[in-house]
Parts: sequence; structure tokens; C-alpha cells
Amino acid sequence: MKIMVCLKQVPHQDARLDVDPSGVWIQESNIKFEINSYDTYALEEALQIKDKGDAEVFVVSVGPERVTQALRTALGMGADRAVHVKDPAVEGSDPLGLAKVLAAVAKAEQPDLVFAGLMSDDANYSAIPPMLAELLGMPHTTAAVKVERSGDKLVVDREIEGGANEVVELQTPCVVAVQTGINQVRYASLKGIMAAKKKPLDVKTVADLGLEGQVGAAAAKVSVVKIASPPKGDRAQILSGSTDQVVSGLIGKIKELGLL
Amino acid sequence: MGTTLIVAEIQEGKLREASLELASIARKLGGDVHGLVVGKGVAALADQFAKRGAGKVHAVDGDVFANYNAQAYAAAIRAAIQASKADLVLIPNTPSGWDVAPRVAAALDAGFVSDCFKIEDEGGERVFHRRVFNGKLDARMTAKAACVVATVQPGASAPFEGSAEGSVESLAVDPGALRSRYVETKHTEAKGVDLSKAEIIVSGGRGVGAPEKFPEVIQPLATALGGAMGASRPVVDAGWLPHEYQVGSSGQVVQPKLYIACGISGAIQHLVGMKTSNYIIAINKDPDAPIFEVADLGVVADLFEIVPALTKALRDAKGA
Repeated sequence: MKIMVCLKQVPHQDARLDVDPSGVWIQESNIKFEINSYDTYALEEALQIKDKGDAEVFVVSVGPERVTQALRTALGMGADRAVHVKDPAVEGSDPLGLAKVLAAVAKAEQPDLVFAGLMSDDANYSAIPPMLAELLGMPHTTAAVKVERSGDKLVVDREIEGGANEVVELQTPCVVAVQTGINQVRYASLKGIMAAKKKPLDVKTVADLGLEGQVGAAAAKVSVVKIASPPKGDRAQILSGSTDQVVSGLIGKIKELGLL
Repeated sequence: MGTTLIVAEIQEGKLREASLELASIARKLGGDVHGLVVGKGVAALADQFAKRGAGKVHAVDGDVFANYNAQAYAAAIRAAIQASKADLVLIPNTPSGWDVAPRVAAALDAGFVSDCFKIEDEGGERVFHRRVFNGKLDARMTAKAACVVATVQPGASAPFEGSAEGSVESLAVDPGALRSRYVETKHTEAKGVDLSKAEIIVSGGRGVGAPEKFPEVIQPLATALGGAMGASRPVVDAGWLPHEYQVGSSGQVVQPKLYIACGISGAIQHLVGMKTSNYIIAINKDPDAPIFEVADLGVVADLFEIVPALTKALRDAKGA
């Protein structure tokens, strides 16, 4: 069995978010990046299948040079090889453009299963896994909180609202977008990190994938025109001062609410 | 002026409120409004949707549509787009909406924008407003495509309340052989921790930093106030507390008299679960954390300085 895992490298969850001079994205210099939280669960889910038997896990990511770091981390965690789509021509792609890139990789690789995260922590689109499935003619599901194999099928619990789960059965090959918390994500061990250095990391361009002119900013159907901090309307009254002053302010308020 | 197609969602045999919110948004944008109702035995709901602002409603009915299925529902939406010649398609951003909408956009090579909280015409251009970075920043987006599929945050608008002329037409759709199938819906058993009855809830988030800090720091404040302890999703995902403590759209929705959020940045999925609390106090190191947008009172500080001191002061006040 061959499993493809889509990874995105995103700004660290605690990174400072300053809008860059273009006004359409954040300043990426001098901030730390990490693997998108949802995608770490997707990778873990694939690695658990590999642990149980005969499976090859390869990771795919699209982005600039810095993405190598994320792919090396994934290899350190146990993925067998990595594909890095690195090309200035891919920059500025919208989700459908990125889905086309991932679909081209998948068509060449013919995986039995594709895992991805439900959404990215930066752009928050939740778009690519269903798009990828459509482009590949595969079934898909999203927000997976439990994945079980049953012959050539997958039985997936997907999280819906109010604490309920919807159970869906999918024929393989299929695309599964996982929710956070589906498993406990492993860390890359030192031995794993050492081994990762010898694992293959293929770099591909848009031309390699036969997608010239179909992806990138010029082909994007949607684009961000401005990002900004949300308007500070009726936001909280801020209590400041020493710890004692803050605590007495809080107690005053709790008394006023009649809760003390 | 173009045509907007709004896709209804049926929940427990009724039109979900978010469907009627789409009618309001579509009408404000102007142009023609078409609706779509997909399910089994939907005639009455289609009629209702038409009268409640959805204009010309396409009803897709059949056994294959009895439960949500991505491939079948995508086929129904594509057929309705073709029938209505819509240039804008609005779908509620719910578990089925976010699952199907990108699939439709990919099939039609259309523009796609998700989880919009506002869609407006600004100087002749349609602008889609959404949050990025888990609610920390707002993004304004535009599209250049013959058709744009957008999902809309439930609650983004008031539901359409006026009366309107409408009509219903049935639309035959054959989704072909399906490669996935709905099996069942599993409701979780009664929860060990029922936060819905607590008058005071003290919740901890990722900022609490370690599992042992919950019994050491968060629970004592909850106890001192005679309240209950809750948590945000990252805490439960990390296995620090069981799911029954989770407040948010995928956990418990609470409305206590007082909600104290400690080290919670305020991702949308958490805010949905607690923003209607009577009074909200937020304690967080990051002055830009979205939680301060919904809180009434905020403290920008290390929770490990404030929370233990507050707990002690409350104990002293009660002892006095």
C-alpha cells in the first residue's frame, strides 16, 4: 500500500503576525515555521498504518526553500521519502491551483490513500482535500476522527456538530482530511532524524508536472486584496496594574455580578 | 446583476437557520436568487425555502440523497448551478457544507472562498470577508471567475424574515455510481462533565502549557468560585484533558453567568461555544488574542501570575 500525505509549512502558532508592505500577507522574514498542526495528525495516521504492516509513506509539500525543513522533519518522524514542489511559478496560487499541483503529483505516484489535514493554520481554507479528490476522481471525507481499514475500504468517523460523529465508508483510493486530536503525534527521534538525511527528497517544478500556465498568481481565481487586524470595536475593557490591583479589580467585578 | 444560488441545509427534518441567513445575504447583494434543497421527501421544505427568500427553488429529491454524501450532493449542486446559471453559489460552512463546496468548485474550475463572515458589493466589486490565522487577522478577497463558490459562516447575517414570492421546480439528478456511503450517525453518550449547568466556568487553553497545570492552577480557581473547569480544543487534542471538558463547536456550548478564559487565544471554534456567556473575563499574554474581542473584561498578563493570586484572594475573601 502506498500512502501520500500532503503537508503545508505554516508560520509557527506563536509567531508574531505583522502585515507585510504588500498588505496581502504577513511578514515571513524572521519568524519560525512549523508543519501545519492538522497535517502532523495526517502524517501520524499514515505512519500508524505503516507501523502495522507493509506500507510506503511519502510526503508532498509545495513552497519555497524553507519547506525542506518541514519535509526533513516528516522524514525524521518516519516517512519514507519526500516530494518538494519548489518553483517561483507556483507562488500566489489559490487553493485550486495548489490542488492541481498535488493532483499532478498523485497522478504520477498512484497512491492507494491520500491523507491531509482538515485545514491550514494560516489561510484556513479547508479546501484542498475535497478539491484534490474531485480532480483525481476519488471519494473523500473531512474532519476524520477515526480511520479503520476494512478490506479495500476505509471506515471513517467524521466529526459533525454537537459531539456527534458521522460514519462514512469509502472505497480506496480515497482522500481523507483529518481533524486534530485523531491520534497522538510522535516526535522525530534522534535516530529518525539521522536516518532522514539519507532518505530521498525529490524536487519538482511546475514544468515537471506539466502545469505551466495553470497555477500561480496569474491563474488564481481568487486572491487576497488586504489583510489587517480585526477592527477593535467593543473589545474588552483591559484591567492593568500590579497583580494585586488586577486581582482586586477582578474580585470587585465578580462581586458586582453577584457571584461572590 | 447576476444570479446567486443558495444551498439549504436540512437538519433534523427542518431548514437550518443558516440556510435562511444565506437568503438575506443573497437578497442584499441583488440580482436573481435561486435556492436548492437536496434530500429525500423535500417538497414541503422546498416550498418553505421558496417562501422564505430563496426565490426560485430547485428541489432534488431521491433515496440517494437521504443522507449527506459528498459525491451525490456535489452532483446536485452542479446541476442546480447549471439550471440557474448562477455566478455565485452560497453554502453554509457546516460539516457537510465545507465537505462538499470545494469539490463543486474544483469540478467547475470555479473560484472558491470559505467561511465568509461578510460578502458585499464594494464599488461594483464583490468582496468576500473572512478570517485567517485562526481568527487573528481579517482578509478581504476578490474573485475573477465566471462562477464563485463561497461557504458562509453560520450567524454571518440575520435570517431573511420578510415574505417573498417564490416557486419550486424539481430537478432530476443522477449522481452515478457512488464510491462512498453514509453508514450511521453516532451520538456520544451522556457526558461525565455537564458544563451546561455550571454558573461559572474557568477554562484553560494551550497557554496553560502542561497537563499538570490544570489540577494545579485552573481547577483551584474553578473550585474557589464554586464553578466548573473547561478547556479549549488544543488541550483535549494534546490529551491533557478528556473530550468532556471541551468547550466549543465540537464540544459543549455553554452560557454561564461568568466565563473565565485562561491562556485561550480564541479560535472561532472555541468562541462559538462560549461567546453568549453572560460575562466573560479573559486572561492572556498576547494583547492581540481574538479572545479579547468577545471578552467583557481582559487582563493582558501571564496567567500563572494572576490565576493563583486570584484563587488565593477568593479563598481569603470567603474565609473572612
